[in-house]
Amino acid sequence: MTNSQALRRESPAVGAARTLVPYVVAVLAAFAAVGILLALMGFDVMRAYATILGTSFRTPNGFVQTLIKWVPLVLQALAFTVPLAAGKFNIGGEGQMIVGGIGAAAVGITFSDLPLPLLLPLVMMAGMAFGALWVLGPAWLLYRFNINEILTTVLMNFVAFQLIDFVATSIWPDPAAGHPTTLPIGAGGKLPLLIAHPPLHSGILIAILAAILVYVYTDRTSAGYELLATGANPRASRVYGIKVRRMFFLSLLIGGALAGLAGAIEVSGVHGRLIEGFHSNFLLLGIIVGLIAKGNNAAVPFVALFIAILEVGASAMQRTMAIPGEMVFIVEALILIFVLLTDVVRRR
Amino acid sequence: MADTPLINFASLVMMAVVPYLLASQGTMLAGRTGLFIVSQEGVMLVGASVGFLGAYLFDSLAAGMVLAMLAGGLFGVALAYFTTNLKMDQFVIGLALFFLGLGLSSLLFKIVVGVTLQPPIIPTLDRLPIPLLSEIPVLGPILFDQNILVYLSILLSLFLYFFLYKTSTGLSLRAVGENPKAADSLGVSVTRWRYATTIIGSMLMGLAGAYLPMVYTGTYTDGIVRGRGWLAIALTFFGGWSPQGILLGSFFFALVEILALRVQVTDIGLPHQFLRMLPYLATILVMVFAFRRVRAPAFLGQNYDRESRTSS
Repeated sequence: MTNSQALRRESPAVGAARTLVPYVVAVLAAFAAVGILLALMGFDVMRAYATILGTSFRTPNGFVQTLIKWVPLVLQALAFTVPLAAGKFNIGGEGQMIVGGIGAAAVGITFSDLPLPLLLPLVMMAGMAFGALWVLGPAWLLYRFNINEILTTVLMNFVAFQLIDFVATSIWPDPAAGHPTTLPIGAGGKLPLLIAHPPLHSGILIAILAAILVYVYTDRTSAGYELLATGANPRASRVYGIKVRRMFFLSLLIGGALAGLAGAIEVSGVHGRLIEGFHSNFLLLGIIVGLIAKGNNAAVPFVALFIAILEVGASAMQRTMAIPGEMVFIVEALILIFVLLTDVVRRR
Repeated sequence: MADTPLINFASLVMMAVVPYLLASQGTMLAGRTGLFIVSQEGVMLVGASVGFLGAYLFDSLAAGMVLAMLAGGLFGVALAYFTTNLKMDQFVIGLALFFLGLGLSSLLFKIVVGVTLQPPIIPTLDRLPIPLLSEIPVLGPILFDQNILVYLSILLSLFLYFFLYKTSTGLSLRAVGENPKAADSLGVSVTRWRYATTIIGSMLMGLAGAYLPMVYTGTYTDGIVRGRGWLAIALTFFGGWSPQGILLGSFFFALVEILALRVQVTDIGLPHQFLRMLPYLATILVMVFAFRRVRAPAFLGQNYDRESRTSS
């Protein structure tokens, strides 16, 4: 075996290591920083970290919880990374998810008698359509007047918070619920279970499919290449005949549809109804996932899985050790900052 | 006395101006050196949490304010370091710091206070009527019978106007945001100005956050800022990145906020949720006009690399 052969055989591994090492360093640094904080507060750091990282793998229930969390997380992350590929920031995934959920609930309640093969696709499509609709305003303002999309998308979140409150208290309220909640959607609108015990809904298949489609679109088609080119250098792209503003518009609409789909899956697969606050903090976590993955859509599902593991561990830690769950949010934000820092180190 | 409700309403608007004004002037100041802060919402939450805790633990609102400004300042140091020294993307690191602030504010409160159903309460900021002036009919109670931060934030705006447009130091500062290369070649330190304005700007955001528990709620709750940080960015555009424009615009933002709260009490047939959407929808609407009229600092959002030939 000659030297060059050895090099050639080694290079993929070396390449993978070179990509992964900064991530490992960033994760370790974030855990170390928060570990010091936990120790100062008098908590058992090792037990806390064992809970955070281990809960997902200790019981079947923990593992299924992680998968269920992964679904909206990966969709929210993609709702952020698709516009990001075109250089645009969609911070409105929360509103798009909520309104997608409203659309899904509206269809699921109104046509509750339809059989599953008809109603379920309608519910999912309504979620995507409503999610896209919610970003239509910001996308159009960006297209027509070049108005900063960060602001308009984020402001639409606050509008959505009021809209869901209205829908859940005034249009289809469930008087039996103590919290703003709608009536349940029809049985045909609910995602079938893949596993009965512990219950795992089939929305995970939709999320996997969406992740693959997004990856193929952005990384394997010429239309997706135009999107990436727009993000990399809008001026040069315009010179080459790419309709840059149209790409901005399109990317935001795709993002809105993905976030809306997340909302529809939560309504159809997890709750079976619309519950105020169901959007949780998936937007923020999704953005963190997207930024940690540096917009790489092939990496997004894996980063999302890691964050889902942390999140499930965080709730367990809060339950059993009375450590505030926000601690894990700090870990996640720090991982992001450290990943960005390793980039700086590598550039030098 | 038929005009008393109206005076009361106008007085509430004056009170509501403060958080917008402080956060927006902070955004403007850093933006004028080319640094676009997008972590307002997070920094304001930290300011609210730290400000409340400081006031609660030291039994002094002033201590709370100082601590909130220090906490905000730390975020400013981080943002300035990451963007000027390490040349990280301003939006990305700004968002990361927003997340950090979001987590920290809630965490700090839970660590110090614990999880309780009955959170501790701090006294709210007293009114400080100005002798003689507050006696003027109508205008007196609206303008001169307010808490100290109302006066200070308006004085700050006037000072910033004078500083930015009437002093040569202010001219240097503005040059950094318009043409850093030219400013650099004239011996104006781009880095130093960006540090200074980002730290001061973030301190103002911290104070803006501390204002909320100290004037409205008397305690800290998650989500107390309710988008005011994001609205402050919009206000900065709306005010044309100038202190005087922001001062005028802040009255509009405060008016819409109070309107949305007030009208809901005096039922006009529209569901209250739609009135609560008003501040956000109105902001989007005014931005349509603001963006076409306004020119932001030329170098806004871009990092300066003195060795690069293209960043002119």
